[in-house]
Amino acid sequence: MNREKFNDNTLVLILAGGVGSRLNNLVHTRAKPAVPFGGIYRIIDFSLSNVMNSGFIQVGILTQYKPLSLMRHLGTGEAWDFTGRTRGVKILPPRTGSSDSDWYKGTADAVRQNIDFIKAHPSRELLLLSGDHIYQMDYSEMIDFHRSKKADITVGMMVVDKSEIHQFGTAITDDSQRIIEWEEKPEFPRTDLASMGIYVFNTDYLLDMLAREREIIDFGKHLLPSAIENDDIFAYPFHGYWRDVGTVQAYWQANMDLLSLDSGISPQDWGIRANMEENVRGSSDRPPGRFHKNSRTINSMISAGSSIEGEVVNSVLSPGVCVKEGAIVRDSILFHDCVVEENSVVDLAILDKRVVVKKGAVVGYGEDKNVSNKLYPKHLYTGITLIGKETVIPGDAVIGRNCMVRPWTGIEDFPSSNIPSGETIFKRF
Amino acid sequence: MPKYKPTSTLAMILAGGRVDELNVLTHYRPKSAVPFGGVYRIIDFALSNLMRSGLELVAILSQFRSFSLINHIGIGAAWDMVGRYRGVSILPPSPSSDYVSTSWYKGSADAVFKNVDFIEYHEPEEVLILSGDHVYHMDYRPLIEYHRRKEADLTISCVQVPMEEAHRFGVADIDDEDGDFGGRVVNYQEKPEKAESRWASLTLYCFNPRVLIEVLEENAKEGNSHEFGRDIIPAMMTKGFRIYGHKFKGYWGYTRTVQEYWQTNMDLLALDSPIDLEAWGIRTNLENRDIRDCQPLKMGPSATISESLVYNGCLVEGEVKNSILFPGVHVKKGARVKDSVLFFDNIVGEDARIEQVISDVNNTIGRDSVIGSADPDNAKRITTLGWNNYIPAGIRIGCDCTVYPRLSQEKFPKEIKQGETIR
Repeated sequence: MNREKFNDNTLVLILAGGVGSRLNNLVHTRAKPAVPFGGIYRIIDFSLSNVMNSGFIQVGILTQYKPLSLMRHLGTGEAWDFTGRTRGVKILPPRTGSSDSDWYKGTADAVRQNIDFIKAHPSRELLLLSGDHIYQMDYSEMIDFHRSKKADITVGMMVVDKSEIHQFGTAITDDSQRIIEWEEKPEFPRTDLASMGIYVFNTDYLLDMLAREREIIDFGKHLLPSAIENDDIFAYPFHGYWRDVGTVQAYWQANMDLLSLDSGISPQDWGIRANMEENVRGSSDRPPGRFHKNSRTINSMISAGSSIEGEVVNSVLSPGVCVKEGAIVRDSILFHDCVVEENSVVDLAILDKRVVVKKGAVVGYGEDKNVSNKLYPKHLYTGITLIGKETVIPGDAVIGRNCMVRPWTGIEDFPSSNIPSGETIFKRF
Repeated sequence: MPKYKPTSTLAMILAGGRVDELNVLTHYRPKSAVPFGGVYRIIDFALSNLMRSGLELVAILSQFRSFSLINHIGIGAAWDMVGRYRGVSILPPSPSSDYVSTSWYKGSADAVFKNVDFIEYHEPEEVLILSGDHVYHMDYRPLIEYHRRKEADLTISCVQVPMEEAHRFGVADIDDEDGDFGGRVVNYQEKPEKAESRWASLTLYCFNPRVLIEVLEENAKEGNSHEFGRDIIPAMMTKGFRIYGHKFKGYWGYTRTVQEYWQTNMDLLALDSPIDLEAWGIRTNLENRDIRDCQPLKMGPSATISESLVYNGCLVEGEVKNSILFPGVHVKKGARVKDSVLFFDNIVGEDARIEQVISDVNNTIGRDSVIGSADPDNAKRITTLGWNNYIPAGIRIGCDCTVYPRLSQEKFPKEIKQGETIR
């Protein structure tokens, strides 16, 4: 057998272990890549589908934080066509070593701990992705670019707003897209070119470097600044819709972007696939969405299995959501099987799976959208109220802005039926 | 070697028929593959019932334009019919062994007879024969248990219909041996001029395989006609076989004519619909027609949808009322769709008006066109559009019209009057 042929492959590693703690309630039971998005998807579906649509067939997924929901979602990888003789997707959790057990300490460390996987799947390049971004990209074009530049490392980069650049790795390039300066999360940025966390490595270069430089833990922080001195590092320019939905506000906004016809985001046109067979109550058992008499739905995204009797405006509904008669859902994101009972209101809120809003309750009330959440002022400050998984909101309760209700909170946990803006409700019993 | 064999009933679905009354909807597919209910095919009801009944060894007898059906069934994974003792086999007709005579299935009984070897190979305890073209929900296990308990040669499932309609069916006179559940069939008539019982056969049979093979062989030798209802059951009655009737109480939707098909679709939309797709657990193959690649339904800022069923993959910018939209339907701005069923990937142009229309897959309806009738006096006169048509902008098509599949542009006049057929 011609081993060279196999060596022409690109092996894909997806980093899917991120906690994404700023998403707060939404990552209480799942890792950030497993957070539902756009009705039927999870965030990682965008990376996985991009890999599928780029024609790559061997994928490793590095998990760490709360991986169960992610593992269930991946299944055999069949949803993304990763099953077959030469195809495969493998989950790579952290392992105990012979001398030291270790969680993944950074991007480079995570890759180093899986050198055996990389060697077992001979490849010419290694494509390293993050599983928590919303975008569409044909990575095979990036590989072509990498090869044509004879690069050792190519970094996917895009222009972002000056005000946001301090969160990213940044680069200054020359006319040939060669990276000549690299700064990680600079306080005073000198460029607007930001790293998207997408790396192409020559596999041999990477293996050699990881073996040699034991102190390298993170690619952005440790490797790139030194590598640009000695090696051929290029920036692959990306243009188009790309979002790191790492904050509640960014997550909400990206969902709202789905609703406009010209925002540049379109999972279907992008060829993004969800795993419809994820569990027994997965999408495959859902009938078409049912729109009842006198229901009103405008500017929204509605998944199969939903039932609308009331009013839905500017909202994204996952499968199985019921909006009962007289209820209003506005500017909100409702996950699977939420029930909004008669005459209740959900306004500017994110409801995790199976939340029940009892009759006459109001979730998201008041003009005081600027009152930040008292416990998490950096997470909830734009007016969005966050309701945790399988919570029951008591009938006729009024919940203000920037409120948070923790998962599995029951009616008996609410101290009163009037929850002012900025409050957090915990499960007490 | 000890053998665990969970499935002892072989299910055979008769899915081959093409029915003239369904008009252009069955020009290119068997009736069982006709889309239904916003994402399903009619055969999904039989397949899902089988799955929920734990009967997962299934043969599908098909001979008319099977491509659409074969695509839909795939390997049967959508109905969990993949495994050591689970499977779906599509059994097409084959030439006779001398290769001289062409050998199509000459009727429902002949179709099963030509596959007797398949039955013998699997050695089932009983053979369940069902149609792939009914809309209903049934757990077949009580029927099979009853059949076993009665040591019957044949058990027929029947449903009560109005006396004046019974003449359209096979009619069984069932005695009260087991009260509400069923009884011995004391008389059976196929499509009698004047029915004497309201128990209509659902063409759902549970057979003792030995008896089945015996009567099929006899029928093959003698008869000119090879239908279960017309030939096999009357012959078995005459010979005194043990035939029992099972009294089915649930909803039974017919899809034999365009009108019936449309009505069964409208039944789905009713406020207290007798068809509960979710509770019935109906599944379809989401790989077919790339349903899995659809995003959720997207509704524009001026869209309205009421009293309707809409699946993922649709984009609605206009107005939809009392209608069913399959994946990939795009209703553009200003368009109005009412009392209609639009199959996969229809595009309704700006300001078009569609009323009481069944439109097959891949039709593009030009802007400003008016199709069907808004006149309530003309209710129940459905206009049917065959697949893969570009319906020109501004056209007027009346009610009760038929447009044949894939017509070239010059075939379309400016106006198609009520009752006309364009071919």
